[in-house]
Amino acid sequence: MKKITINNLSYKYLLAENKALNNISLEVAKGDFIGVIGPNKAGKSTLCKSLVGLIPHFYKGEFEGEILIDKLNTLNSSIAEISLKVGLVFQDPFNQISGAKLTVYDELAFGLENNGVEREEMIARIDKYLDLMDLNKVKDNNPFELSGGQMQRLAIASIMALKPDVFVLDEPTSQLDPQGTEEVFKAVSRLREENLTVILVSQKLNKLADYANKILFLNQGEIVAYDDTAAVFSRNDLEQMGMGAPIYTEIARELGLKNDKDQYPIRKSEIKEMLVAKYGKNIG
Amino acid sequence: MRSLSLYVKRNSLIHKIDPLTKIIYVFVSVISPFIMPTLMFAFSLTLINLLLLLLAKVIKRVIPIISFVFIIILTIFVIQGMFYGANQTKLFTIFNLSFYVEGILYAAKISVRAINVLLAFSLLILTTPPAEMIESLVRRGMPAKLGYIMHSVLQIIPMMSSNASIIMDAQRARGMETEGSLWVRIKAFIPLIGPLVMSSLVNTHERSIALEVRGFSAATKKTFLHQEEVPGGMKQLRVFFFLFLTAVLAWRLVL
Repeated sequence: MKKITINNLSYKYLLAENKALNNISLEVAKGDFIGVIGPNKAGKSTLCKSLVGLIPHFYKGEFEGEILIDKLNTLNSSIAEISLKVGLVFQDPFNQISGAKLTVYDELAFGLENNGVEREEMIARIDKYLDLMDLNKVKDNNPFELSGGQMQRLAIASIMALKPDVFVLDEPTSQLDPQGTEEVFKAVSRLREENLTVILVSQKLNKLADYANKILFLNQGEIVAYDDTAAVFSRNDLEQMGMGAPIYTEIARELGLKNDKDQYPIRKSEIKEMLVAKYGKNIG
Repeated sequence: MRSLSLYVKRNSLIHKIDPLTKIIYVFVSVISPFIMPTLMFAFSLTLINLLLLLLAKVIKRVIPIISFVFIIILTIFVIQGMFYGANQTKLFTIFNLSFYVEGILYAAKISVRAINVLLAFSLLILTTPPAEMIESLVRRGMPAKLGYIMHSVLQIIPMMSSNASIIMDAQRARGMETEGSLWVRIKAFIPLIGPLVMSSLVNTHERSIALEVRGFSAATKKTFLHQEEVPGGMKQLRVFFFLFLTAVLAWRLVL
């Protein structure tokens, strides 16, 4: 079932010379976990902003084409309306704290209050997502006193509480230490358990290999590849375009290990299986 | 990071009163001495405010505020005592400077009113958590955006000061002198402004995106996580305050 349809999307920021996105068309099915990769200025963040309606409603510029979330056209809907269908978490955890609430518990209520959710329902959702994002221990703390990883989990929980169908995460771990990154990816795995449609921009290719069923590779505002994760990471031209591949794919490439679909393995378990099949159980 | 707030947590009767009733009280207490311009009336209200602050167990916090305005009050006494237009009856003379009864009384009236305003607002601010006060106003129709501005200022000022110290640390690490004489400090302040303002603008821009995607501009009617707890008797108290104000007005008009 189609969840997101993008038709001929192009966007140029005000005063910019080139288009940040150029004629993008793609479809995302319900429950898909899409990893978005690409070098700098590829248009990854612009795509995220377009999906939640910040482009063209918040950022003015030249917008062409359309984005449909189910039947909701982002061009004809307000950001508030879209925010109930599409949630966005971005890089800086600090700036995602509203600044209007004094405790983590109250911070989770911020979006729900704005959207007029009834109090009983609000409490039920807050309790659920505090639990799910493992924030119960800090629920009475000031949000600004949390660690980076906790803040980012709070940002994810705040958006999840709005129950969007689509969850967009724009490099949510780029400003976090390894522990914070691990915490956030654990949280992201819970999004998958909730059967949400997830679009995750990240440079952590090993993690994307673990979670994403499809990869969208953007370069200079255009789609280079949009395919199954293994198919994209098996391409030989990734390095040429400033991208690498997951570590296990690189190892498999060195060893010349390919599966029956003529693709390199992307996860540790797959490479292990293939090595065992090739050299027997006593390998290593 | 602590929120910027003067609220003092205590277990007192005043703390239990809901924010709206306290706001109405402050309004009545501040405006009445201007309607009824007698020294005794303003003095009585000041005394009541002092008693309430005592009851709220926050009187110690008021002393520094009063000390701060003491210099201003002293100036009012000196200037009005000597130069008030209606000065006639000489009270005393120091170093050839004459002070008059009329001027001193007029200065007393102004000062007592000023202290009364200060005490009334202190009573509200020291005994009411800012979040509750703002929420109470938003519930009664104050635009949520204005409420957010009031709220965020309390959090964002400490955030800016923490950012400033990070920037200063970075500048110090590059060999810039930021400590020492007043002149050195002033010189160090100028290069701080640029990065601080720029980073604050960037942060504000990003935060506004975060707010938007959480329905900040939603057209739906806002709901509230916390229920407003209004102790018994508050409605009667609010009516009493209005009746008091009406009586003061009537008295002024009749007399």
